[in-house]
Amino acid sequence: MDLNHLFVITISAIFINNFVLNRFLGICPYIGVSKNMDSAVGMGMAVVFVMTLASMVTWLIYDFMLKPTTSNIFYIIFSAKEPPDLTYLKTIAFILVIASLVQFVEMVVQKVSPTLYKSLGIYLPLITTNCAILGVAFLNLDENFNFIESIVNGFAAGVGFTLALVLMAGIRERLELAPIPKPLRGVPIAFLMAGLMAIAFLGFSGLKL
Amino acid sequence: MKEIFKLGGILLLVTALASGALSMVNKITKPKIEEQKRLVVERALIAALPTADPKAIEKVIENDEILYYIGYTTQEKTDIAGYAFVAKKAGYSSVIETMVGVDTTGKIIGIKVMEEKETPGLGTKIEEIKYGESAPWFQLQFINRYAGELAVDKDNGPIRSITGATISSRAVTNSIKEGLEQLEKRLGGFKKQANPTQTEQVS
Amino acid sequence: MSMMSEFSKGFYKENPVFKLVLGLCPTLAVSNSVQNAIGMGVAATFVLIMSNVIVSLIRKGVPKKIRIPIYIVVIATFVTIVDLVMAGFAPALHKSLGIFVPLIVVNCIILGRAEAFAGKNPVFYSFLDGLGMGLGFTFALTIISIVRELLGNGSLWGVPLMPPSFEPVLLLILPPGAFLTLGLFLGFFNWLDAKRDA
Repeated sequence: MDLNHLFVITISAIFINNFVLNRFLGICPYIGVSKNMDSAVGMGMAVVFVMTLASMVTWLIYDFMLKPTTSNIFYIIFSAKEPPDLTYLKTIAFILVIASLVQFVEMVVQKVSPTLYKSLGIYLPLITTNCAILGVAFLNLDENFNFIESIVNGFAAGVGFTLALVLMAGIRERLELAPIPKPLRGVPIAFLMAGLMAIAFLGFSGLKL
Repeated sequence: MKEIFKLGGILLLVTALASGALSMVNKITKPKIEEQKRLVVERALIAALPTADPKAIEKVIENDEILYYIGYTTQEKTDIAGYAFVAKKAGYSSVIETMVGVDTTGKIIGIKVMEEKETPGLGTKIEEIKYGESAPWFQLQFINRYAGELAVDKDNGPIRSITGATISSRAVTNSIKEGLEQLEKRLGGFKKQANPTQTEQVS
Repeated sequence: MSMMSEFSKGFYKENPVFKLVLGLCPTLAVSNSVQNAIGMGVAATFVLIMSNVIVSLIRKGVPKKIRIPIYIVVIATFVTIVDLVMAGFAPALHKSLGIFVPLIVVNCIILGRAEAFAGKNPVFYSFLDGLGMGLGFTFALTIISIVRELLGNGSLWGVPLMPPSFEPVLLLILPPGAFLTLGLFLGFFNWLDAKRDA
């Protein structure tokens, strides 16, 4: 495994193609949960966790159940003449898998660590409709990542999301006390801040990896 | 417990119905989607090999991989108009794929970018057609050039790179250069240029 | 419940983007050109209408506990249909919208309307609600994209409109431009509302 390549994927997913500021994925929680630092950190952790898991599971599903290869499970079980091409079912398969995965993680966390559940629990249900999770699954496909690359990309994308979210929460906590024109208060100013932050992140695009 | 099975059963039924409906839609759209993919390659080949008969372009395949295409001037396939190949290299945010056509001396006679997802407004300008022109200005710069000349201005070459998108410009240029060198090796060398000084006068 | 108001509320009073602040990811991502914006708007509107109609038709037979997963399956089915049809018949648009086509499935507007409206109302009203909300979404996307494409690229629908001396504000079609434009639009509508109430 080429470590250098994995490093490039990581840096690219966190800074250059930041999920929120460059790819526009996960905007709803980015605006909705960035009002204070504690919830931003909680949400961020939950997203990193689920995104890594989702990258792993969706890769397995795609490669062993949907893709028309000789290692396709349905090809082996039903000993069909030709490997079936089920890739058109990917949207429906991925969203169902992610929804069940989130439910499952919620149950496990609740059983294993009630303290962790207390800090992450309320964010988990919100994650199903977070387009960043489904987004990372599709991006892994688009980039033709292998199993390890997908996991690394999922984890790094989650870290990038958390970074953007925590930075935003820091700014918004200060903005509470700032004299902002009335119509811009709340969501509009959050978008303007995100715009400025995205300009700063554009600076990373010159990075040569 | 019984309820879980009942609910699970309903969900399974709904999903099965949905999958069934989708497989029908897929049957209708699949040939169309494959046709579109074929058309992209076909159009690119026509652009890359303008002197070849579009019906007389052959693939050269090795181990399921298309190495290059040979274009003949007529359907009798006696005279070779040129060769075409796909040049690939990672640009700024995507892999850029370009179909490149050369004549038998290795001179570029046509190119077409087939696939790129570069930054809108910057990298995507490799496909920009300026108002009143008929072909992308960036790609036109490659016509009539040989592998040896290919480099962007920042690398002291003649290809003017796109402002703010050096990475994309360089990726296209270098991928074509590398592809040409590979093609030359595969063909065992290009024909000698008839008279290099004369070609220069014409252009 | 008047039919006209079910249809028209999506445009201004309950505009999904400007008022309910939903469906932001595609709004930001594909508003860099008018073509992309309208393509996305039409695709989302189709999914919204179809899922609203189906959800409303099956609303009495769906067990409460598993209604959300069932809604998601219905939505995902129509999203896949749009995805396949677009890939077959409008490949250029399909390519430039990229992963945002399959991601219509997690567009909160659609699940939101299924849960808040179509699951409780008769078919025809649900159809109107879907159509109105979809067109409202398209409308919001379009006006944001007009600003971004005209100032950021000097063109509309890919046709150059500005005089040659015009230097495009490139920033507007880059990612930051999306945030800034939407932020200013939201502020503008807040200001408009405050002025009207006063």
